[in-house]
Amino acid sequence: MSYVLKRIAQSVLTVYVVISASFGLVRLLPGGPLDYLRAQAVQQGGSDLSMSEINARIAAQTNIAVNEPIYVQYADYMAAMLQGDFGVSTRYGDPVMSIIGPAIPWTVFLTATALFLAFTVGVSLGAFMAYKEGSSFDVASTGVGLVLNSTPGYVLALLFISYLGYRMELFPTGGRYASELTVGFNASFLGSVLYHGALPIASMALVGFGGWALSMRGNSIRVLGEDYLRVARLRGLSTRRIAMRYVARNAILPMYTGLMIAIGTVFGGAVIIENIFAYPGVGFYLIQGINARDYPLMMGGFIIITIAMVVGITVADLTYGVLDPRAKGGGSRESY
Amino acid sequence: MSRTDRDGDSGETPGSEADFEAVGDALGTPEQFTDEGRDPGPAPISGHARNGRVAADGGSSSVSEFQQMADVSMTDAERRRQWIDEKLLAPARIVWSDWRARTGVLVVVSYVLMATVGLAIVTEPSPNQGGYLVGAFRTLEYPLGTTASGVSLLSQTVYATPSMLTMIASGAVFTVCLGTAFGTIAGYKGGTVDRVLMIVTDIMMTIPGLPLTIVLASALQIDGNPVIIGILITINAWAGLARAIRSQVLTLRDAEYVEASRIMGMETSTIISGDIIPNLMPYITMNFVQQARAVIFGSVGLYFLGVLPYTSVNWGVMMNAAVNRAGATSSPAAFHWLLVPMVTIIILALGLTLLAQGADRIFNPRVRARHAETVASDGDDDATTGEI
Amino acid sequence: MQEHRTQGGPDSADPIIEARNVCVTYDLEHRDAMVLDDVSIDLRRGEILGVVGESGSGKSMLANAMMDAVEEPGITTGEVTYYPEDGGEPVDVLDLPTEELKEFRWEEVSMVFQGALSSFNPTMSIRGHFEETLAAHDYDVEAGMERARQLLGDLYLDPDRVLDSYAHELSGGMSQRALIALSLVLEPQVLLMDEPTAALDLLMQRSILSLLADIKAKYDLTILFITHDLPLVAGLADRLAILYAFELAEVGTATQIAHDSKHPYTRALLQAVPNLDAPTDSMRPIEGTAPNPAHVPDGCHYAPRCPLATRECHEETPPWVDVEDDHRSACFHSDEAEDAVPFDLSEVSDA
Repeated sequence: MSYVLKRIAQSVLTVYVVISASFGLVRLLPGGPLDYLRAQAVQQGGSDLSMSEINARIAAQTNIAVNEPIYVQYADYMAAMLQGDFGVSTRYGDPVMSIIGPAIPWTVFLTATALFLAFTVGVSLGAFMAYKEGSSFDVASTGVGLVLNSTPGYVLALLFISYLGYRMELFPTGGRYASELTVGFNASFLGSVLYHGALPIASMALVGFGGWALSMRGNSIRVLGEDYLRVARLRGLSTRRIAMRYVARNAILPMYTGLMIAIGTVFGGAVIIENIFAYPGVGFYLIQGINARDYPLMMGGFIIITIAMVVGITVADLTYGVLDPRAKGGGSRESY
Repeated sequence: MSRTDRDGDSGETPGSEADFEAVGDALGTPEQFTDEGRDPGPAPISGHARNGRVAADGGSSSVSEFQQMADVSMTDAERRRQWIDEKLLAPARIVWSDWRARTGVLVVVSYVLMATVGLAIVTEPSPNQGGYLVGAFRTLEYPLGTTASGVSLLSQTVYATPSMLTMIASGAVFTVCLGTAFGTIAGYKGGTVDRVLMIVTDIMMTIPGLPLTIVLASALQIDGNPVIIGILITINAWAGLARAIRSQVLTLRDAEYVEASRIMGMETSTIISGDIIPNLMPYITMNFVQQARAVIFGSVGLYFLGVLPYTSVNWGVMMNAAVNRAGATSSPAAFHWLLVPMVTIIILALGLTLLAQGADRIFNPRVRARHAETVASDGDDDATTGEI
Repeated sequence: MQEHRTQGGPDSADPIIEARNVCVTYDLEHRDAMVLDDVSIDLRRGEILGVVGESGSGKSMLANAMMDAVEEPGITTGEVTYYPEDGGEPVDVLDLPTEELKEFRWEEVSMVFQGALSSFNPTMSIRGHFEETLAAHDYDVEAGMERARQLLGDLYLDPDRVLDSYAHELSGGMSQRALIALSLVLEPQVLLMDEPTAALDLLMQRSILSLLADIKAKYDLTILFITHDLPLVAGLADRLAILYAFELAEVGTATQIAHDSKHPYTRALLQAVPNLDAPTDSMRPIEGTAPNPAHVPDGCHYAPRCPLATRECHEETPPWVDVEDDHRSACFHSDEAEDAVPFDLSEVSDA
């Protein structure tokens, strides 16, 4: 129980640190975002804007009231952030949350599906390769796994979008769903969501599963050689039980740390993938913010991606504590 | 188990007569060594492998003492030869015997050659070198084709290599140094130092790397120095390595030879650099290679998005130009422009992946023993079992 | 010391497992590797038979062969016959169909491995191991768990605490005892123990051995105890069998082997025993190394290292010589062994 509390406290601390760091980046860097925003405001508003009007505008955009003492600025900033107020986008003129908020579920949909597919397919394939160790199937799969593992997701995405998207016109090349559809729980809408999500998900999942398959293969082969497996066979346990409770469980558990790192990789990768497929997720807006030097949008996007990842990792970590009896106290977990 | 081991230099089965009780009480019988040797516990690695192997022999204690005495009485030349054999030739033999490692080495070496000798052979890229958007493998002059402004893709690719390799190396070195430093200090010191360092590490681990890089690059207004970009790409990648290293150090910390150094009053820094780090080398090397791959993926991806500053052309910038200037995704005529840098990346990444797999074999003392002629007589249980 | 057993002729008195001409071979690329070479021995009902050999001498293979548990791709040939209690039909172990073999293992003959920690599934509680074993053999789980508690208690373990633990939470000695309890939960007749105390410290070895004697008496077991540690087993076993390089060298009662060994290898082993009291120069390692299974010498396997070896030793397999009642030695020169490889009993006894 105390482990759960500690783990959650750690996650809260992480989010706090990241938000504080974002304040530092925006506020404290000379020639940084704040000066840029000021210049932007002067340029747009012309000379008829007074200094206080400019400051008010910046305060609305960034939650930083520049004429207040620094600790007041910090406190106000943190308070606003905790209420989900990430300022106002300079490019769109809308509150950052109203732009990024609706994008969150789409990014989570892409990344979670891709991660789930890569993991389950990879693990099953890896286990099968281990049972067929040395066969031509094993050798061929290992080769494919190696090549996919050495391919970045965006390369696959570019290949997909140019062949399957533009040339063969089999898949859409942008958007979350067909624009003429109304949002709702109906077959045509959900179908369209899957149709638009298929290529982004495939490009993330395909490059991931090779790695999972290879580690699962290695782990399974190791477990198959363990003494306890031999004892289990001699004790007359059924093949099924040995496969599930002995091989699968003991081979998958060490991959949990990798899974947590993969959550980060997938979120990072999604930023690039979403831009290739013009898929309006958090990463798409993050890059929009960067390109337009829209600091509120950029920081908001970054903080939200971080929070999503912290939640994902915390959940994974806590589940692991339940699944692996050795994880109590968190000592032996990092055995990868 | 030990079904085929051909170890046991001599009767490790000591026997006594009537008074077995007395024998049993005679503590420190060599069985203890034998048992430890047979236990598949932490495999002895690198510098200490020799001693480890003596224990693993299951030989009687007197035999291992003879072997150790023989070590002492070796001449310097002999010892040097043995050192070269063990540290250089044996790994080289292993690398060459494994096709994965061999391919990996060849790939990496050819990229290094491209970044050095290549610059002298291939002409510098410049606009209007050739026709616009010449396809790949159409002309001998521009084997990989040209861009929309007539720049040879081969020239661009080759001239991008030095800065890419610098970036890769700087990112990998940064990660490995920081990760090793954090991991060893936290693991060795323990206590408050450990707790504080691990909180920092855990926070860094849960921040998504690429978005962090993007935000920092944008807010810090840095220039396109490849060394700095390499570090920026791996800005928090060291955290995962630090965690892993720490857990390994935790087990090494209590090893007997480390304890011996402590008792002898050695400085902590000496113990860490002399006793701990050498045993972590396999892990560190593997991570170096993996980080190198991560830097390629990350940097090219971000250059492709156009969110990183650059001073000279590189593979990611090439991809960006191909898509944004010539619409390479939708136009078949420009597709080779996109394909050339992509293939370049994949081959290098594949080479590094294979190298990492090979590195695993080099540092695996079991595989090593089989290939090292100097130690060939020390048959290792599992090495033999593996052949069956 | 040990009392002489008064049973009948060599290897014939009421065997529970009878092994005849058992060989285990591995088919290597170039040639066969024989890791157990034509071994014939009886395990007598109610005895503790100690099998002693260096690591790699094939002693584990012998135990594995007795329950047809040699792992692929090893091939076991010869005959292993199991005689159930009360004159049931003898069982040809190596020919048992899969389903019957599954029942035979653990219900009739059970095994304890060295390294108990690695014999348990790290992600399953000890209770889970007992329950799944009972369930896999269609035993009544509730009654079986009651017996498990009883067994754990007999081994001086706190049943509830141990059952709710995972293997990594137990000490070496505790997990080894838990493994012994697990091997006995289906009430087998025979317990094959493969270096069960090898990973433990001397005190724990001692206490497990004395527990073993109690358990054997209480549950009426026959035990095959494999070890590389001759002094350890000699105090416990009724009879000893010495294996060298995949074949049996000598079989006899514990006293006969320890005091009147008629095989140069056994005698060399005894000479090599380290003892704090004995002068170091009387303690001698055996020169040379044991052969590789793929390159076993012709004739007597020990011949290349034997001070007595003559031409025939290198060419012919030595015959079994009955040196005493119930004591046989596979050596051409069994009557010379005593003089050629002397070791002075008094050195140890006097100390």
